Amino acid sequence: MFKRQPARVDKIPNIIYYVDNMAKGEYLGEFEHIVLLTILRLGDGAYGAMIRAEIERVTGRSPAIGTVHATLERLERKRLVASWIGEPTAERGGKAKRHFKIEADGVSALKNARKTLDQLHAGVSLRSAIA
Amino acid sequence: MRPPSLAQALIAAAAPSNDYEIVAGDLHEEYLRIGHLSGARAANRWYWAQTLLSIPSLLSYSRSDKSALRQVGVALVALAVLLAMLTVLTLVDATYRTLFGDAHGSQQWAWFCINYANVVIFGAILARLVRSDGLRTTFCASLFLVLCFVVPAIAGHPGSQAPLAAWLYLLGAIPAMCIGAAIYQIVVRSTAT
Repeated sequence: MFKRQPARVDKIPNIIYYVDNMAKGEYLGEFEHIVLLTILRLGDGAYGAMIRAEIERVTGRSPAIGTVHATLERLERKRLVASWIGEPTAERGGKAKRHFKIEADGVSALKNARKTLDQLHAGVSLRSAIA
Repeated sequence: MRPPSLAQALIAAAAPSNDYEIVAGDLHEEYLRIGHLSGARAANRWYWAQTLLSIPSLLSYSRSDKSALRQVGVALVALAVLLAMLTVLTLVDATYRTLFGDAHGSQQWAWFCINYANVVIFGAILARLVRSDGLRTTFCASLFLVLCFVVPAIAGHPGSQAPLAAWLYLLGAIPAMCIGAAIYQIVVRSTAT
């Protein structure tokens, strides 16, 4: 019978190493990643409608405004973004905006996500995978 | 140009308390922009699509204070309201039976409507008492209430032999309480803005 050899990550020192280096909320979901990058593109003061429209313009996806706000709340809870309430304006029916800016932890999370993806892409040919 | 009222009401019912104004404002802003570009019909279609797609996400998050003390407080309030509701329902039922005997035909419908009206009113009262995220809390409380009856019944209580109509009547308490909470939130938020 085939006996599975322990992979590198199965070894106790490696597990401890990876868990030790895993800060809370370090890993980003796909949509969290998109929202964080969009805030970075728009700069400090970006708000829900602006973020939703930019995601639609750049990616072609049309996310629901509720999904954007739920993601922003999750990112804020992870302390990757910070928010503040703006003044009510007439073009919003007299309703206020919640502005967002990316925090230092948010920038680190983006760097880590990019590094992880680069490492995974390294040495892999997508062209040969199709052939 | 004004967004569809019913869609606005749904957003008012589903949005977390601290974010309702923000979400409604974002939708309003984009609605006006789309209206200017593509006309009122396209803007209305967009608003409805956004509303229906947003409801699950809006119900899934909260910006309210999540401290353990506050959660215990909310749970105690919900429990007190559920106990009060069951007491009132029992008293109404006993009074109805004293006055009219066992309900039949149209009387049964009247009894059914009175009980459900009570449940809807208690849903609104619960939403009023917990204030933040009333719809979510009311949904959890009504689910807890129904499970309190369903679990013992499934575990062999004689009540499990009840007809299907009785089970449907019991399960109806969940949407009825949520409707009460939603009506409360819609009324409060539409009068506040």
